[in-house]
Amino acid sequence: MESFFVRYRNLVVLLAILLAQIIGLAVQVRRMGDGRSTLDPGDGPGVRLIRLWASALVSPAERAIHGSRLGVSELWQNYFDLRHVREQNLELQKSLDRLRLEQAALIEDARQGQRLQRLNGFQEKYIYKTVAAQAFGSSGSDQSRVFYVDKGKSDGLDRDMAVVTPDGIVGKVRDVFPHSAQVLAINDPTSGAGVILETTRIRGILRGNAAGQPEIVGVLADNRIQPGEKVLTAGGDQIFPRGLPVGTVEKIIPDPLRDGFILIIVKPASQLDRLDEVLVVTSTESRFSPQDQQDIAESEALKGPEAAAIKDEQIRDQQIRDQQKASQIMAEHLPGLIDPNLPADQQPLHDSSNPNPVTNPPKAIHPDRFTPGADGGATGADSVSTKEQSPKPALPAKGKPKQPNAPSDVPRRNP
Amino acid sequence: MAVLSAGFRRDLEIRRYPSIVYGLIPLVALVLQAWLPRVLGRFAWFDLPLVVTVYFALGRRSPIQGTLMGASMGLFEDALSHHAIGVNGIAKTVAGFLAASVGVRIDVDNFTVRLLFIFFLSILASVLYAFVSRFLLGMELEFRWFTELFKAIGNSAIAILTFPLLDRLQIRD
Repeated sequence: MESFFVRYRNLVVLLAILLAQIIGLAVQVRRMGDGRSTLDPGDGPGVRLIRLWASALVSPAERAIHGSRLGVSELWQNYFDLRHVREQNLELQKSLDRLRLEQAALIEDARQGQRLQRLNGFQEKYIYKTVAAQAFGSSGSDQSRVFYVDKGKSDGLDRDMAVVTPDGIVGKVRDVFPHSAQVLAINDPTSGAGVILETTRIRGILRGNAAGQPEIVGVLADNRIQPGEKVLTAGGDQIFPRGLPVGTVEKIIPDPLRDGFILIIVKPASQLDRLDEVLVVTSTESRFSPQDQQDIAESEALKGPEAAAIKDEQIRDQQIRDQQKASQIMAEHLPGLIDPNLPADQQPLHDSSNPNPVTNPPKAIHPDRFTPGADGGATGADSVSTKEQSPKPALPAKGKPKQPNAPSDVPRRNP
Repeated sequence: MAVLSAGFRRDLEIRRYPSIVYGLIPLVALVLQAWLPRVLGRFAWFDLPLVVTVYFALGRRSPIQGTLMGASMGLFEDALSHHAIGVNGIAKTVAGFLAASVGVRIDVDNFTVRLLFIFFLSILASVLYAFVSRFLLGMELEFRWFTELFKAIGNSAIAILTFPLLDRLQIRD
C-alpha cells in the first residue's frame, strides 16, 4: 500500500488538490429552481477570508504602483503642463455662471415637482452623501469585470452602494474590506440595473455581455428605439437613484434567445476601462444635501433676478408662439378664397373645378334700396365679393340718389 | 532503465532559485495581472500567473511543486475576481502538473518547444475554465474563443521576453 502511494504520489497529490477544489466549488454554487446554477451572493466565511487574504496581499502593491503613476502624472499636470490654464479658467468661470443661471431657473420647477410628489405620496431619492475613491486594481480576468477602490468599511462603504462618476453610473459595491472594496461594473454579465430610455420611456434591465459592453435586455421589439437615445437609471432597483445617466443607445439587435425581444447595446457614459476617481453613494435622501442646498442658495442669490427675467421673457415668447400657432391652425382649417401667392386668374375663387363654387345671388325682379349692389348699398364683404366675381354689378348704382342711411355709409371691411 | 534515466536527467537539470524568488515572482505576476488591465483596457491578452506557473514547473521538474504552484496561483486569481473560488485553481493545477510532468521527459530548454508548450497549456487552461464553469457548475458563461487564442499568443510572447530574464535568477553551481 505504501509503495502505491510512493509510486503514484504525484497523481495522488493532483487528485487530492482537484477534489478539494471541486468540493469547495460545490459549497459556493447554489442550484436555482429553473435548473441553472448561480453563485451565492453572500460569500461564506471561508470564501470571504480567502478573498480578504488575496486583497490584502495584492492591494498594497497595486496601490503603490497606481499611486506612483498618479503622482508622476499629477506632477506633470500641476507643475509643468500649465499652458492655457488662464484661458481654461475664464472658460470655466463662464460655464459656472451659465450653470448657476440654469440652476436658478430650474429650481422653481424642481420645488414644484417635489410638492407634487409629496401630494402623490411619492418621494424621489437624491444623492445625499458620497465618498470619493480611487480605482486602483481589477480582477485581472475579462470574465470578471470588477475593480477595487481604496475606500472600505472604515470609510462608511457597504454592499450594494451605487458607484458613479460625474459622467454616469459605473457599478455597485460587491464586497467590502476594511480599507478597500470590490466594485462590480455595469458591463459584467452578472450585474443588473433598472434603466429607462429617455424619450420612449421604455424600461429594461442593464447588464454586460461577453464583449464587455452593457446591454439592455427584456425589451420587446419597438421601432421607436433609435441609436443615440439617452439611457437613464429607472430607480426601481433600490441601488441607483433615478435619472442618473447610463449612456446612449449604440445599436439594436434581435435577442437570439427570445423571439420578439431585442437587445439594446449601450455606449456607457463613463469610461469603464479607464476609471481613476469614482464617487460611492453612501446615502440617499428625499431632500437635497447641505452642499446642494448651499449651491442652490448661492445660485439664487447671484442669478435669481436675472433668471426670473429670462423666465418671464421665455413665458412671453411661448405665449406669442402659441398664439401664432393657433392662428396658423385656424388658417389651415378655414377655406381660403384669395391666395396672395397666386396671380389673379389662378385664384381659388375662379377655380371651375371647385365642387362648391361661389354663386351669384339671383337678380332681383323689383330691386329696392335693400337689394345687394343697389346704390352701392351692398354691405361689407358681399359688396367686395360681388365686385370681384363679376365685372358688372347686379344693379348699377348710377342715377340713384344717395341716401344718408344707406349701407354705403357703413365703413367697409378690409378684405 | 527509462525511469532511471528520467530521474537522472531531472536531478541533473533541476533549477534552483533563491527562496525569495519563489515568493516574489508569483506576487509580482498577480499584482501586474490585476493592475495592467486597468492600463491596457480590453487589450490585456495575457495570463501572467499561468506563465509563471509554467516557468517554475518546467524549471523545477517536480509535478507536486507544479501542482501546488498552479493551485495557489489559480486560487488567488479567483479570489480577486467575484467568481467562485476554484475555477481558475483547477485549470492552473492541471496546467502546472502537466508542465512539470512533460518537463521531466522532453527537452524544454529548447526555445521553440517552450513557446509551443506554453501556447498549448494556455489553450488547455481556457478549455478547462470553460468546462468547469459550464459543465461542472452549470453556470452561464459567454466565452470568446478568439480572445482566448489571442491570450495564448500573448502568453507565448511574454514567455519569450521573461523566461531568459527569469533564467538569470537561478542559482548556479
